[in-house]
Amino acid sequence: MKIALIGNQNSGKTTLFNVLTGMNAKIGNWPGVTIEKKVGTIKGTKHELVDLPGIYSLSPYSIEEEISRKFVFEEKPDIIINIVDSTSLERSLYLTTQLLELDTRVIVVLNMADMLEKKGITIDVEKLKNELGTDVIKISALKETGINELVDALSKNKTKYELKKYDAVIENELSKIEFRLEKKLLHKKFIAVKLIEGDERFSGYKSDEINSVIDGLKPKYDTDLEEVIATERYNYIDSLKDKVLKRKMVREDISDKLDKVFLNKWIAFPIFVVIMFAIYYLSVGVIGSYTVDLISLLFENIGMWMESTLATLGASEWIVSLVVDGIVAGVGAVLNFVPQLIILFICISVLETTGYMSRIALLLDKLFRKIGLSGKSLIPFIVGSGCSVPGIMGSRIIENQDERKMTAILTPFIPCSAKLPIIALFAGYFFENNSGLVSASLYFFAIFVIILSACIMKKWVFKNTSSTYISELPNYKVPSAKYIFKDVFEKVTAFIKRAGSVILICSIVIWFLLSFSLNLEYGVNVEESILAKVGDKISWVFYPMLGENSWGATVSAIQGLVAKEQVVSSMAVIAGFAENVEEGSSIFGNGENGQGTGIFSFFTAASAYAFMVFNLFSAPCFGAIGAMKRELGGTKKMLKAVVFQTILAWVLAVIVYQIGSRIEMGILSVTDLVIIGIILCIVVAIVVKKEKNKECSGCPYCKDCDKK
Amino acid sequence: MIVERDSKNIKKIEKLSNLKVGEKGKIVAINITNKIVKRHLLDMGLVRGTVVEVKKIAPMGDPIDLSLRSYELCIRKSDLNQIDVEVV
Repeated sequence: MKIALIGNQNSGKTTLFNVLTGMNAKIGNWPGVTIEKKVGTIKGTKHELVDLPGIYSLSPYSIEEEISRKFVFEEKPDIIINIVDSTSLERSLYLTTQLLELDTRVIVVLNMADMLEKKGITIDVEKLKNELGTDVIKISALKETGINELVDALSKNKTKYELKKYDAVIENELSKIEFRLEKKLLHKKFIAVKLIEGDERFSGYKSDEINSVIDGLKPKYDTDLEEVIATERYNYIDSLKDKVLKRKMVREDISDKLDKVFLNKWIAFPIFVVIMFAIYYLSVGVIGSYTVDLISLLFENIGMWMESTLATLGASEWIVSLVVDGIVAGVGAVLNFVPQLIILFICISVLETTGYMSRIALLLDKLFRKIGLSGKSLIPFIVGSGCSVPGIMGSRIIENQDERKMTAILTPFIPCSAKLPIIALFAGYFFENNSGLVSASLYFFAIFVIILSACIMKKWVFKNTSSTYISELPNYKVPSAKYIFKDVFEKVTAFIKRAGSVILICSIVIWFLLSFSLNLEYGVNVEESILAKVGDKISWVFYPMLGENSWGATVSAIQGLVAKEQVVSSMAVIAGFAENVEEGSSIFGNGENGQGTGIFSFFTAASAYAFMVFNLFSAPCFGAIGAMKRELGGTKKMLKAVVFQTILAWVLAVIVYQIGSRIEMGILSVTDLVIIGIILCIVVAIVVKKEKNKECSGCPYCKDCDKK
Repeated sequence: MIVERDSKNIKKIEKLSNLKVGEKGKIVAINITNKIVKRHLLDMGLVRGTVVEVKKIAPMGDPIDLSLRSYELCIRKSDLNQIDVEVV
């Protein structure tokens, strides 16, 4: 049996899906966490369960609603489980009234039963069952109550009868239309309603007779029929609610109290900055300095142990080199950063599940709108600091197409967890005492890059002006420790698995290209290796940001396309096949004391920062590029975006190096920079002001413009 | 603000965007021209006759958090501007 799970956004659908299937699909406390359908099997049965994206309606206007509607019409599920947030029954039942027009059996599940008492609400389930004419089951997906009853109900057979929820005039016309539709057609009532609403996607069912029925209906109302239908539905729900729901007045709830702080006019913004700063400072700065040494020591020992064991076993020199200098060095370089990632993932997971995310979106909407984004863009950005791929996909929660595409292009600018090793390596070595500060500065740099590119895109690519922000504000929730543990565990294992697969293979390839010359001789000088020769050909590209023609840095940066942590891994393998990378000395040393080979010893603080800037903001890894292609809807658009990102990253890195190296040489002072910065700000402000005045005089939206 | 004199009582019609925190209004007309936005708001329960309360205002003054049908919905002023309510 095929069962579809349909319900509003943030109604606990995915939590119920996880309970029923025993899986750990992603949950969160903001509307729109589930963006693609997920399939699982209900425990103890053979029923297939499909979790669809959260929707409020079956209107034709949003991608998610389209996915759900297509699923119902084309995949023909046997049962629809309609999950309802019982703390906001009215809004949730709106979707129910639409689902009940389908010919598919619907089971209504009242979720969050545990919250009802706290909110002083009582619902008469029996009465609701009779009124709706279908199964109604009260559960709590979180506390796992009522689940058995739900599973039992699936195998029962029940027919539902029809509801009359519109006024007599419409009901009458509806049956006229239904009568004129093809006899064998499924979901006739649903289609009839859609025809009255004027839904373009169903116009294929129209006939002259049906048209005349609808035309006869129009003059009876003073608004369009779409509004009439929606109003009628809510009127029906209002009368239903009076029969089944009782509400006691309750005191101001905890969410309102918390919002007095988190949405306070004066301190909301500082709180947000402090929270974000703390997350990155904690994961890169504080934790990093403690854990990295320990793990590096471990890999150093593994390397030495491997070397001696393999030697005693009689392995030849090149095999030992492959294992120790290639595999252990390459994989170890990446695994060093696992503790930092754990902290980062925990922080993101907590942010996602508490409901604070929706507040940040609300807080920043006015700012973001100015640069052509929506407040909701912030959610993909924060998710993207874990991994760009779900972040880019998360951009679907934004209604406006342009804002959505811009967000998808901008999300990879946020340093993701795979870029963290790059930051930690360079910041740790070149800015030893300020590594936390420098890494946090890169996140603020990322914000700057996002604003800059948003402005560029708004000016030349996405010129559409109309946009909206319509979003539910969920209550705060205490995050579930069990879920966070599972979530973090899953993300960390994915990272380790990648180190054991992609990074491992790349390390072997790099080792090969480093150990052999173009004539395939083993054991040549590194400078004669295939990799060095290839790198030399293109290293000029990076000269303006490094001040050096470095084949090593060049080939490493290019490997970031495979996975960003591969940059670090590649540098480790190149830099003399050493394993204790995180200290940096083995990579950046000049060859003395057995530290490094001198390949990367040219790096200074300025070129290090510039190199980080390039790697952080240039084309993301292939995974993220693929996600961008899906969200932008085409290879051509994706390529344009990737080229844009890479050129921007190159320009910024060059600027950083050119300024930074001059400070290092003493030609420029920090004071000079501050003065130049102030002058630039004034110039920008003047230009922006001029632009604004220009826009206002000619724009057609003047009537509603708040600038007026 | 328009004051309409009904035969029995005085109605205060106001744009929803002009309501202050704690004020309530009953929707009398939805004048949104963008079909997609209008349908979205209808789906979310903003239909004629619905009573909405301004619950919170975002720190920067926009969007506005409304309380209706026992849940909370955030909408930008520019859209609320096009909804008329009767102050209650």
